[in-house]
Amino acid sequence: MNYSLQFGQIEADLPYILSGAWPTLWITFVTFFAAAALGLAIAMARLRGGAVASRLATLWITLTTNSPLFVVLFFLFNGLPNWGILLSPIAATLVAFIAISSGYLAEIQRSGIQSVRAAEVDAAETLGMNRLQTLRFVIAPHVIKTTYPALSNFFIFTMLGTSMASLVGVNELTGRAIEVASRTFRSIEIFLVIALAYVLLSVVASLALALIGRVFFRVKAKVI
Amino acid sequence: MLADLSALFTSGNIRFLLRGLAMTLTLTLAGCSIGLIFGFLLAYIRTGKDPKAAAVRWLAIAFIEVFRRIPFLVTLFLVLYTAQMIVTRAPLFWVAVVSICILSSAYMAEIVRSGLESIPTAQVEAAEVMNFPRWRITLMIVLPQSWKVILPSAVSYMVMFVKDTALASQAGVFELMFAGKALVNRGLDPFVVFVTVLVAYFAISWPLARFGRWLELRLSRRPINRGEP
Repeated sequence: MNYSLQFGQIEADLPYILSGAWPTLWITFVTFFAAAALGLAIAMARLRGGAVASRLATLWITLTTNSPLFVVLFFLFNGLPNWGILLSPIAATLVAFIAISSGYLAEIQRSGIQSVRAAEVDAAETLGMNRLQTLRFVIAPHVIKTTYPALSNFFIFTMLGTSMASLVGVNELTGRAIEVASRTFRSIEIFLVIALAYVLLSVVASLALALIGRVFFRVKAKVI
Repeated sequence: MLADLSALFTSGNIRFLLRGLAMTLTLTLAGCSIGLIFGFLLAYIRTGKDPKAAAVRWLAIAFIEVFRRIPFLVTLFLVLYTAQMIVTRAPLFWVAVVSICILSSAYMAEIVRSGLESIPTAQVEAAEVMNFPRWRITLMIVLPQSWKVILPSAVSYMVMFVKDTALASQAGVFELMFAGKALVNRGLDPFVVFVTVLVAYFAISWPLARFGRWLELRLSRRPINRGEP
């Protein structure tokens, strides 16, 4: 055991590695919002859809929440080309992440929608609100308030999960770390640096989410 | 397609995949059980109020908060490279178990903490008045009630982790996904192999997830007595 940490040797590569935070962030944002929209549609199909739509939504949720994201990603990237479907690394990543996340986000939003009591909607009707007003002033605030903590947890979870994209060749934080590590052989130093980068990114995201929740949705969230 | 299927489902290949499946379960069970024990210790330290132990408490909080914010893949590579630095030819099974332990103990600590905090403070204060030491309060008053809160969450976390262990294949650890990749490298059709691997993961994860939900429903039938009329 005669290894000494030498951060000096990777100093020149640090800006390149750390700017991998941008791909990490945009993949996280695209995945989260696309999957949240898809998840809302699935949750509505499950709750309000007909017999077929609701069965299909339940099936989709069961399939996605019980499949490992990494295996799905590998299947899309390495399995499909044999059948003539060639996906780029970033396309395979987005498809796999959005598909799997949509199942989890559908369940979160379903539990939020189900927590709205019929009495609240009745009360809104008594006050003479139309359906759009009921949605805007009664249902949406309630759903957002109850699901906000779970949604912000899932956002952080998605951000950490995007590191898997590196394994099909996406050039984000972990991908750049692997690339530079295989060139400089300073693996421990590089992975310590990106571990710190992930901690900082997720702490900032947690703080921002707590602030947004407090200001816009009246959610009192604890950060630590 | 049919030729690919019959090439995959030879008795040797099936046994190979089943060995990978058993390894996936072993990894998860070993990592998460040890993680639950360490998580309990971390939560016990974190919820303490002794001013003399403040430094240890902050260390526990730092461990929990940091390792919950590092992706499993990064933890895995860090453990792998560190192990290789200490010993040549580090046993990969233990590299995977240690990285799962680190991550799961940080998460389990939060699960245990929410369990410990679900007990009404009046009970704890009453025991403190009677001069019970803290470890006895935890062991005799808090845990017998709070395990009902802890166990379902711990089980559902473990079920979640079954799927994440697939990443360990990237460090060269033999488990289900590694077995799949090895079969692909032997020239089998990746489409057929990865679909089979996906089905195998689903076959473990789905029953376990249903068991977790059943356990949660079953244990929540009699809630903790909060001393309210």
